[in-house]
Amino acid sequence: MTNPEYESCRPPFDAASIERPDPALLTYYIIASAMTLVAFPIVIIPNLFRYYTLKYKFDDKGVSMSWGIVFHRQTYLTYRRIQDIHVTRNLLHRWLGLAAVAVQTASGSATAEMTIEGIRNPEALRDFLYAKMRGARPENETDAPQTSQSDSEHAASSSTDEVLTLLREIRDEISQLRTIGEKPQ
Amino acid sequence: MKTQTLAAAEWVYAGLWGVLVRWFRVPQEPPTLAVRPGETVDSFRPAEGYLRYLKFWFWLVLLIVDIGLTTAWIAIFIVNPVVGAALSPIALFIIIAPDIIAYIAIHLRYDTTWYVMTDRSLRIRRGIISIHEVTITFENVQNVMLRRGPLQRYYGIADLIVQTAGGGGAGPHGEGGGGHLGVIEGIANADALRDRILARLRDSKSAGLGDEAHPVPSHPPQHAMQLTPDHVATLRQILGGLRRLNGERGHY
Repeated sequence: MTNPEYESCRPPFDAASIERPDPALLTYYIIASAMTLVAFPIVIIPNLFRYYTLKYKFDDKGVSMSWGIVFHRQTYLTYRRIQDIHVTRNLLHRWLGLAAVAVQTASGSATAEMTIEGIRNPEALRDFLYAKMRGARPENETDAPQTSQSDSEHAASSSTDEVLTLLREIRDEISQLRTIGEKPQ
Repeated sequence: MKTQTLAAAEWVYAGLWGVLVRWFRVPQEPPTLAVRPGETVDSFRPAEGYLRYLKFWFWLVLLIVDIGLTTAWIAIFIVNPVVGAALSPIALFIIIAPDIIAYIAIHLRYDTTWYVMTDRSLRIRRGIISIHEVTITFENVQNVMLRRGPLQRYYGIADLIVQTAGGGGAGPHGEGGGGHLGVIEGIANADALRDRILARLRDSKSAGLGDEAHPVPSHPPQHAMQLTPDHVATLRQILGGLRRLNGERGHY
């Protein structure tokens, strides 16, 4: 069932290019609705609405997700505020190569703040989100190379050393000054 | 004979795994976590004791349920032998089949549970039909809970529960916290792991609520005062002045 050739020729993951869910999500919705048997006509309608209006937008600070026409929903969250990432794959998800990537922030809602569905290569999306969330990288890490920081630190410490030596010498001189001053008395 | 049965059981189990991997796409490999060079990755499963702990419950429930079912069947047999005889295949099936399924499910549950820990984060995978993976960075962890019952103590295991901020109702597995938690079940070194996570928490300077990165001075006393060559030159002048003064006073 797995197709290694497809896996290898996958284009590199680019979150910014994701705007619409994969068509496999429609298949997923139809099958999942069909499994409710009698309720199928009722269940499929909101799912179809959801699929056809679902939009994602990944920018460099956060992700927004919107769906619905009559009952419109839009969620925006920043990557840094992600508390935990849950990836759930049921049997149908796995067969279709999908997953539900639930992203939670620290708000008090019982369910995930955002559940990103219908993304091909959900692991790559999860890794992308993980890399952006807090704590995944050293906090003081910047784009500037690490060496320049340590260089400046080194320079600062050498100048403080010099200052320290000077201060000690000044202290010694002052104490000498005092002893000289005290001598005549 | 015993080893043959064991080998046969293992063969069947391996075949089942093959079916799960091939047709049900259960991942065979442990989950991975992206790390930076120099950071360690620890990938582990629950301890052996956890399997024995689950099996203890299995045998306990099996005993109670099967005694109940057998008694009911015998009662029917006594009241009406014809109906009892007719029901015997169904009764045997009801008594035996769930036990086998449950026993296999315990092994599958054990074999599909994975914990991955790096210096920065934690990933937990659990489940067979529905596979659930949680990723939590230690930076976001609010508290660490250790849970160990008497039976778990006997088997030398404990559950470690890592919680992040945010409330809500029951989680995906019935725990509180709205899924803001990672449950590391049935591990032998729970205390060491807790200490490791707590040490990581103590080092953290943030509250774990998505605070933005502030340029926090790492060595406040040294960095607070930026020394320039002018400072050094001024100090030299003071020293020179003092020396001259000392020299003059020394002549008296």
